Amino acid sequence: MEFNVLIGGEAGQGMFSVELELTEILSRLGYHFFATKNYMSRIRGGHNYHMIRVAERPVHALSGKPWDMVVAMDSAETERRHRPALRKGGVFIGADRIGQLEAEAANTFQDVTVTSTLITGLILSFIGADPAAVQAAAPDEPARAALAKGRESAARWGLEGPRTLSPKAGDHCKLDGNQALALGALLGGCQFVAGYPMTPATSILHYFTAVAAEVPVHFEQAEDEIAALNMALGASFAGLRAMSATSGGGFALMTEAVSLAGMTETPVVVIDAQRPGPATGLPTRTEQGDLDFVVHAGHGEFPRVIFAPGSIEEAISLARRAFDVADRWQIPVFILTDQYLADSVQVMEGRVPTKILRRETPVFGADYRRYEVTDSGVSPLTYPGLSEARVEVDSDEHTEDGKITEDVGLRARMVDKRLRKREGLRKEAVMPTRFGDRRATTVLVSWGSNRLIVNEAVEALRAEGIAVSSVHFGQVYPLTPPMARGLARKRLICIENNATGQFERLLRIELGLKAAHRILQYNGECFTVAGLVERVRKILG
Amino acid sequence: MNRDDIAWCPGCGDFPIRATLEKVLRELPVPQKDIVLTSGIGQAAKMPHYLPYSYFNGLHGRSLPLAVGIKLARPDLTVIAVSGDGCHYGEGGNHFLHTIRRRLDITILVCDNKVYGLTKGQSSPTTDLGMKNALDPLGNPNTSFSPLAVALVAGAPFVARTFAGDPQHMETVLREAILFKGPSVVDILQPCVSFNKVNTYAWYRERIYRMEGPQKDRYEAIRLAESWGERIPTGIFWREGQFSCREGREMFRRHVTESAVARLLNKPCIMMR
Repeated sequence: MEFNVLIGGEAGQGMFSVELELTEILSRLGYHFFATKNYMSRIRGGHNYHMIRVAERPVHALSGKPWDMVVAMDSAETERRHRPALRKGGVFIGADRIGQLEAEAANTFQDVTVTSTLITGLILSFIGADPAAVQAAAPDEPARAALAKGRESAARWGLEGPRTLSPKAGDHCKLDGNQALALGALLGGCQFVAGYPMTPATSILHYFTAVAAEVPVHFEQAEDEIAALNMALGASFAGLRAMSATSGGGFALMTEAVSLAGMTETPVVVIDAQRPGPATGLPTRTEQGDLDFVVHAGHGEFPRVIFAPGSIEEAISLARRAFDVADRWQIPVFILTDQYLADSVQVMEGRVPTKILRRETPVFGADYRRYEVTDSGVSPLTYPGLSEARVEVDSDEHTEDGKITEDVGLRARMVDKRLRKREGLRKEAVMPTRFGDRRATTVLVSWGSNRLIVNEAVEALRAEGIAVSSVHFGQVYPLTPPMARGLARKRLICIENNATGQFERLLRIELGLKAAHRILQYNGECFTVAGLVERVRKILG
Repeated sequence: MNRDDIAWCPGCGDFPIRATLEKVLRELPVPQKDIVLTSGIGQAAKMPHYLPYSYFNGLHGRSLPLAVGIKLARPDLTVIAVSGDGCHYGEGGNHFLHTIRRRLDITILVCDNKVYGLTKGQSSPTTDLGMKNALDPLGNPNTSFSPLAVALVAGAPFVARTFAGDPQHMETVLREAILFKGPSVVDILQPCVSFNKVNTYAWYRERIYRMEGPQKDRYEAIRLAESWGERIPTGIFWREGQFSCREGREMFRRHVTESAVARLLNKPCIMMR
């Protein structure tokens, strides 16, 4: 059994507060849940809705099934849009009941914003959460009182415990995708972040500002994304692991600095939290439309690595790894996430490596050469001010000493040196993860945020007697031949949030893997399990 | 350094600027290893290649965000961004404004020859109105940018102009700019012997005069900084007495610890509201 609720209304009416308060208490009580949101690019008005799924087993996707409850904070729009998707016998909390809760908030608590806590108390009561445990989990005394009042309202309306669920989650963290990436960056030794606010990447920047009070890291708000990535490169050159985070439009401005990182071999990490493009697109919705762009971003030829995490655990571990790869190979490393993963709050029970990675700071003599040609392509890296060694870095083609050169023979040797790193990078590529029965002839292929939606669809299909498995690529570039192992003879269905099947094409070009079918979605919304199952079923007949 | 290794034209104003900068940096009370230069692209941006210091010669217009990143990461380093008028005022114009606003101890040196040299004689932001150039055969249709007045309006606490034809003056101004604790801007007037046939050494010598000390009033400094034509003032227009310079944070080799991260994980949700 599980519980699916949608809370809708105008921006500013308190739906997000319900999500924050409810997920916090669900987490403290040890419930498995998944929460995500669909919001407009406006601060007040419009129509936003938050979706929360509570279950007795780990859930990491929207079920796509009819709602058990719809809460309408507004007068008409939520009812018009979402009440038709309420299951038979489901509960609709509309204007009259919200009005009563608002009156209670105003009268009892002298604060109408307490309505969100009353709704939280009501929902917790609906799923049969232990009242004493809820009281104990409340953040403070006023919240405790409001949660109890919410439960009283549920009782008054006969909504106490009709969908009783047990908390089954063990020790866990509650994180959204952006928090996970930021945490992974910290674990990767990142100490400098420069950025320009852009949805859906902004909360990564917020995270660094918030933690800077407690740990030695710095966030600088740049005047534009061009400056942001150049600042990160300056900080990296000076000795700190550094990154920037943005969305596609901001990344477009960063591309010349991406090329600069390639030429100067300055380690840096860039997170592209994708949203639908082109141009401003749908600023607050989701898409996986920047893969081609990031694979090719930056003029000229230089090695790069692109990760695309598919879970909270993977967001942490791949972000951590990104800084290590960037440093050891002195290249730009990219992380592709999207609004869906960024704004989804999840329960993470799995363990992640928490050992913090650090940059080495070797010291050299006056004969130090920043671009010494080596077998691996990696030159010794150090930082200014540590010794007599001068660190000379140049965006022009350069000599081993970092001086401008137009020697064509040296030019070719330098290109070879930089590109030689690809051999080493291929050897340490992150292999895709498989899920389900490998004997199944059909394999659902995904990359980035769709991983766990696909995996739940695999389970749902198996329950229907349809045998499929799945494979997820957490590293989307470079793609290496071992990644294709066991896939060449399968019937591949590539699942992507874009309109042209960018990864399906990349698989074909890089690995010669041809997907038989594509399931694409590009309306700005994420896949749901039920929606995906339906589309796979259609293909398999 | 071998003359052939230097990519400037014979007679370029960058030579005396380089010689003066080398002297000033050598005599600076800062160890050689702690000085870092950044530059962009253009003839002047090649400057770091001809000086014995660590440098990051980046992209056109981007010397300043590099300098900001370096200074924030390593407050212990002395950071000087040196590039031309096209780089600092044109391609990097937005960075020029905002780097000044950041209140960091960064010296911005602009080798201003009022023309694009490396791309062969197009108008630059400081090219005078009506001047004929490679891409403006009928004369530059744009108003000449007044960099020092703009720097003053943006809040720069140290603003000066000097002249490549007056090494002694240049030496004093560059030294004071670098030693000033805060963002300092120095526009260095220099000829371009190849592409600017108007603003030559001789042209400047007829017009340039040395101001008496910094102005006491910022608006007076702006008025003077804007004056151009028959009489061109050089010297320090403005030097703020009580400037509050932003101090960077010591982070290099001070790592985040695992116990700190464990504490952070217990923090309440940090989400965008």
